[in-house]
Amino acid sequence: MAALLSSAGRLRALCLRLLPRLRPPATAARPPAPASRNIMYQIRFLTVAPQQEGSVKEEPISEIQTRRTWQFDWALNKLDNSVRKTGRIPKTLLLKVFHEICKTGCPGSNQTLLLLRSCGALLPEVLSPERTELAHMIWDKMKELGAVYDTSHYNALLKVYLQNEHKFSPTEFLARMEEANVQPNRVTYQRLIAAYCNEGDIEGASKILGFMKNKDLPITEAVFSSLVKGHARSGDMKSAENILSVMRMAGVEPGPDTYLSLLNVYAEKGDADSIKKTLEEVEKTEGYLMDRILMQVIFSLAKAGYPQYIEDIKERIRFERELIPDAMNLCLTLITHGFEDISFHILKSLNHLSRDNMDQGNFFLQHCVNRDMPVNKLKQFCSELKEAKMHSAPLPFILRCALEANKSALAIDVMKMMKEEGLPLRPHYSWPLLVGFQKEKNLKGIFEVLKVMHELEVEIDTETYTDYVFKNFADSETARAQLKKNDCLFETVGLSVAEIRYEAAHGRLNNVLSLLSSASTPPIDIRQFRNSLILGFKSSNDVHLWSKITELLYKDERYCLTPPGPTEAVGYFLYHLIDSMSDSEVQAKEERLRQYFHQLKKMNIVIPTTHYSGICRLLDSSQVPELIKDARLLSLKKTLSTDNIPESAKSDVSALEKKLEKRKAENQPITDVLKQLIHALCEEENMQKALEVKAKYEPDMVVGGYAALINLCCRHDNVEEAMNLKEKVFPKNSPVALDTGKYIALVEVLGKHGRLQDAINILTEMKEKDVPISDRTVASFFRILNAAATRGEVETVNRLHETIVNLGLAETAVLHSTLITVHLEKDDMPAALEALINCYKKYGKILQLHNIYCRLIEKGDADLLQKVSDFISREYGDMMALYDLFFAFLQTGKYKEARKVIETPGLRAHSGRLQWFAKKCISSNQMETLEQLVELTQNLFECDRDEMYYYLLQLCENNGDWGKAEAVWTKIQEENVVPREKTLTLLADILEKNGQVVPFEVPKVRHEDTRSLSTSNVEERKIRMLCKKNNAKEAYNIFLKMQGKNEFHYRSYGTLIKALLTQNCLEEAMEVKHIAETHIKGFTLNSAASSLLIISQVRRDYLKDAMAVLKGMLDSGLSPTRPAVIALTQTLAEKGDLKNLQALKNMLEDITKSIGVSASLIANAIALAHTKNNDLDAAVEYLEPLLISGAQNPDQAVRNISYLLRKVSEEGLEPALEKFGVMAERLASQFGIYRPVTDLFLQYVSADRVDDARSLIEAKKIKTLLELIPEHLDMEIAYRYLMRCYELDGDVASVKAVYEKIKAKNIQLHELSLKSLAAFLKKVGEPVPFTEPPETFKFYVEKWRKRRLEAS
Amino acid sequence: MAAASAVREAGRRSRRLFDIFVADVPWTVSSKELKEYFSQFGSVQRCQLPFDKDTGFHRRYCWIKFSTLQDVQNVFQKDSHILEGAKLTLKQQSRRRRSQRKNQSE
Repeated sequence: MAALLSSAGRLRALCLRLLPRLRPPATAARPPAPASRNIMYQIRFLTVAPQQEGSVKEEPISEIQTRRTWQFDWALNKLDNSVRKTGRIPKTLLLKVFHEICKTGCPGSNQTLLLLRSCGALLPEVLSPERTELAHMIWDKMKELGAVYDTSHYNALLKVYLQNEHKFSPTEFLARMEEANVQPNRVTYQRLIAAYCNEGDIEGASKILGFMKNKDLPITEAVFSSLVKGHARSGDMKSAENILSVMRMAGVEPGPDTYLSLLNVYAEKGDADSIKKTLEEVEKTEGYLMDRILMQVIFSLAKAGYPQYIEDIKERIRFERELIPDAMNLCLTLITHGFEDISFHILKSLNHLSRDNMDQGNFFLQHCVNRDMPVNKLKQFCSELKEAKMHSAPLPFILRCALEANKSALAIDVMKMMKEEGLPLRPHYSWPLLVGFQKEKNLKGIFEVLKVMHELEVEIDTETYTDYVFKNFADSETARAQLKKNDCLFETVGLSVAEIRYEAAHGRLNNVLSLLSSASTPPIDIRQFRNSLILGFKSSNDVHLWSKITELLYKDERYCLTPPGPTEAVGYFLYHLIDSMSDSEVQAKEERLRQYFHQLKKMNIVIPTTHYSGICRLLDSSQVPELIKDARLLSLKKTLSTDNIPESAKSDVSALEKKLEKRKAENQPITDVLKQLIHALCEEENMQKALEVKAKYEPDMVVGGYAALINLCCRHDNVEEAMNLKEKVFPKNSPVALDTGKYIALVEVLGKHGRLQDAINILTEMKEKDVPISDRTVASFFRILNAAATRGEVETVNRLHETIVNLGLAETAVLHSTLITVHLEKDDMPAALEALINCYKKYGKILQLHNIYCRLIEKGDADLLQKVSDFISREYGDMMALYDLFFAFLQTGKYKEARKVIETPGLRAHSGRLQWFAKKCISSNQMETLEQLVELTQNLFECDRDEMYYYLLQLCENNGDWGKAEAVWTKIQEENVVPREKTLTLLADILEKNGQVVPFEVPKVRHEDTRSLSTSNVEERKIRMLCKKNNAKEAYNIFLKMQGKNEFHYRSYGTLIKALLTQNCLEEAMEVKHIAETHIKGFTLNSAASSLLIISQVRRDYLKDAMAVLKGMLDSGLSPTRPAVIALTQTLAEKGDLKNLQALKNMLEDITKSIGVSASLIANAIALAHTKNNDLDAAVEYLEPLLISGAQNPDQAVRNISYLLRKVSEEGLEPALEKFGVMAERLASQFGIYRPVTDLFLQYVSADRVDDARSLIEAKKIKTLLELIPEHLDMEIAYRYLMRCYELDGDVASVKAVYEKIKAKNIQLHELSLKSLAAFLKKVGEPVPFTEPPETFKFYVEKWRKRRLEAS
Repeated sequence: MAAASAVREAGRRSRRLFDIFVADVPWTVSSKELKEYFSQFGSVQRCQLPFDKDTGFHRRYCWIKFSTLQDVQNVFQKDSHILEGAKLTLKQQSRRRRSQRKNQSE
């Protein structure tokens, strides 16, 4: 402690000493932080500010405005784009914008206006009443959300009413405005006049006109146009026509609106002549009339029921490209109002506008589908469109519309039509329907679709079943049964493939096996289900099933339909199986794969050499070279290919040996055979023999044989021999080189044995002989260097590194870092520092700096700290040195010192460095450190406070710590920071996810934002999801892939570990744990995960580890689960491990009760352990007093010995059983303790040793026993013996009572018992209350025996 | 170790590598039809047409892998590709590295 204090003093000196050297943009130039920040943020971010005080009070308002402006722009853009491009707004888009605006909570005035305005003629696909309803809904909702309506809103509503021809009372409308204290304006009056005129109410219109005149408001063309309509609708056509001259007199020229109004009223009357006359007049006077107006007239004619006049109008329209949107809207409106034939007529006028042979009329067909047009009508349109060559495939198009709109009946009808027309129907057409029914959980619908597809002769394919049908059922078997029951089981290859794939992909290999072996399964090429099968293999650990399935694939010709045959197919499968496994999966399954290979070998399965060598490469790269030997068993060797069955390696060797001797004897050349033999021995890893053979036939040895031998020796750590051979055959000056792998093996083994110079020579030779260096070689170099560093061998590391780098074999930062690692390993800080400086000087890289800093601070070595700081500040400037120091102090928990460093005047925020450290804290779940970082940088100049809080929130999110997040929120306000949207969103997210109320408006998140902020979390969520779904393997794979890219939440590690342990993937779990521990300081598993870990370890016999985990748990106050304790205890007992059992007993002393473990458990275990150690006396000596005292001391009672008895009985430890039996009987007879003897009886009964059971007890004991008997025991046997006992005792009353009880309990007695009972009753002169079994006693004894035999 | 698994990963990646990305695939065709269509240019090894399991429709794009580079070149010899009335948009994927392919004995 003193040392630390003194070091702190020194460090202060260091800071002080650094001060004057810092350039001075210092204190004076620094504006008060909060104000400057807020200005900055206000400009940059469109967010709501939290409560602010003082001079910055106005800011929130301006921010709200900016935000609204932005949102308004966004909404406006969307709607505006739609209007500009198409002249309409799809209802879905309007609703989407509406909901978005609702979500933001406070609709702006112009947003509301925008929405209201969209509810009229801009929605041609919606019927008028529905449009008005929409407008009202928006009106009310926005009001509810606090929208304030002004005149513009009321006017907009009026416009919507007019466009929708909505009937309403204008006076009431005015009253409502007045009530709301909103003043009507000219536009209001104009529209009210229009409303009256729509109803032909000239009187009403005049009243309003009076208002306008009183207020001196100008009367515009719009008013006159309305009056035209008003008069006409009141039946006064003359006055209507007269309005035009009135206008002119009033100095207002009639314009398009007026003419439209006039034309419309003629149209309403069906006055084609007047229309014609008017049009001609207009053409004469005005010279033009807009086509748009003509289109409106068409609509009026249609509505009024005069379709016959439409053609004339249509002919006047010049259908040009620019008119397309309007024409489309006319068509849509007509369809909406039920005039689809007129609409279609118009549509056909667009024929000549087709471009690039593009299909025309999609919008038409789609709207027809949406409006539920009858199928016949649709069919007619389709064929006409096709005839007119406007559309190449109208039927498939409406099929798609029907599918998209989830109109299954229509879709089916369309498919039928398509079939009639000879159009192809494909399985995937049914998928949207199946998805729809699946979402509704409508099985009937699913069956229906399958039936229809069958009727339509579409062969339902595998994907249909796997992706869209089976999902609705628990498994494919259930699916099959249900399909059959509902008459839609169609036996096809597709179905069979689907079943196999589905079961395989769900890991149910037993089902796969039975499917594959079923005689009814048709021939299917293995390729059809290979990938699913690989998935299935990977999620299963059942080597037996693996092998059985592989054997089937190999031997059943159904699954190998195409050449070159099963050898190839299975080889390919195996290769892909292993290729699809991650390194750690392969490592974890090493033993299983080994068994698998051996079983395949037993099944005479061989694979081609190419696949075999591919597999070897994979195994090698997965760091399981040992497995290669086993994989080799499967290799189809060319030399032995005569009958396709390779002999085992052993006979291979002996055959070769014989061959060799024979050749030798015959004086024939032996080099080839010798080489083969050497290789075979190397494959067998038989170094001894290989060396002997070499020695014997030395003159005939060739280079290849030596190379293999050298590698073999390296593998077996025989450095002497390896070097001898190497020197002899591949001397340095010889041009012949070994391959890279063998050189590396040599360097490695030489390094390990301290033969440094030799290792260096080898490296030099590699360079001289220009041996190829791959990434893998570089990785091997690192492995060699790092191993030496971990061993603390400074010289080895230095010299090997120097050689590697100087020779130019490799040069990477990781390699250099070992130069420092070795000193850190040895805790030699001066040397580490020197190495750091040297690395920088030589290679320009600063490595391991943070680690060195932290170590120095922990050691309190101020001098060296000063030295390294001096060095860094010399090379990188004071600022970097200060940051490094700051982070190191934070990391080591010396916050006071950290504060002093960061408060160095003139120090500025360096976002990159801050981010580095923050991310480090997040990934290693160091909340306290991160909090300190945020806290201490509060006054750091130019520090992005929002960013800093964002880091904190990220960690909160990782830990699901909403409480902390809420505190962060308060802090943000306290500090007057204006958070960015992404920060608010993250905060809201955390609170919501944890079921908390979000205390602010959640900003609308733009898509890009969400993405960027959650990229790191997507995978992690996926991992958690997969864990939840028990798919730990896949989760683990993703985890491995993510390694290095991203760090994980504390909790995710735990979840993943637990999931892996649940599926018995101990190695994987340990790997994750290890990674977690390296990333997160003080990472510990929770109770459940630790318990699972114990269970997994016990399963693998890692008892020492399991004990250590248990101890760790107890030390940190966690209690293990009952199953974990039981598993560990019983396994220790099995091993006879008394020492650990005793330790366990002591550890668990206080908690046995709380975890629900009975006191008998340990006692039984210890007794069993003694038994296992062949010390029966000790067992009894230990157990008997416990049982006796247990009977008197019910608190810590050791009562039953059933576990012990079961174990000794199961394992046939007859003397032990006898000894404990004697003890039990003694306890019963001498102490009246019946439980042990009961246990013994039960053990006999359940082991079917009835005679022993019978001999053991008298009736009264069986009676007590019956109360204790567990459910699963055979009650019949127990009662039979009880009755038999009473019979033997001659106790008639009891016999009868038992019989009644048996009857009451509805237990069926065997005929033998009944016979015996009847005999007894007759003997004592009692009536027999049942029919006596007719046969002889002997007959039933025989029958009984026979049954017993059959049962066993 | 890192390098070894990198080798493995690279091997996997190269196998996953496709030659052509096809967009604007009409909804009516499935990978079967696509394979059939592209088979006229060479031997199609793989065709991946992802479906949206939530809608039952495919996503209108797919990837194609041919056996040889020549096949790919054949495809691009043709100016435009029209399948069931729809013009496909093709994009050649980045060149496969031959050296890597040699490494995996397939």
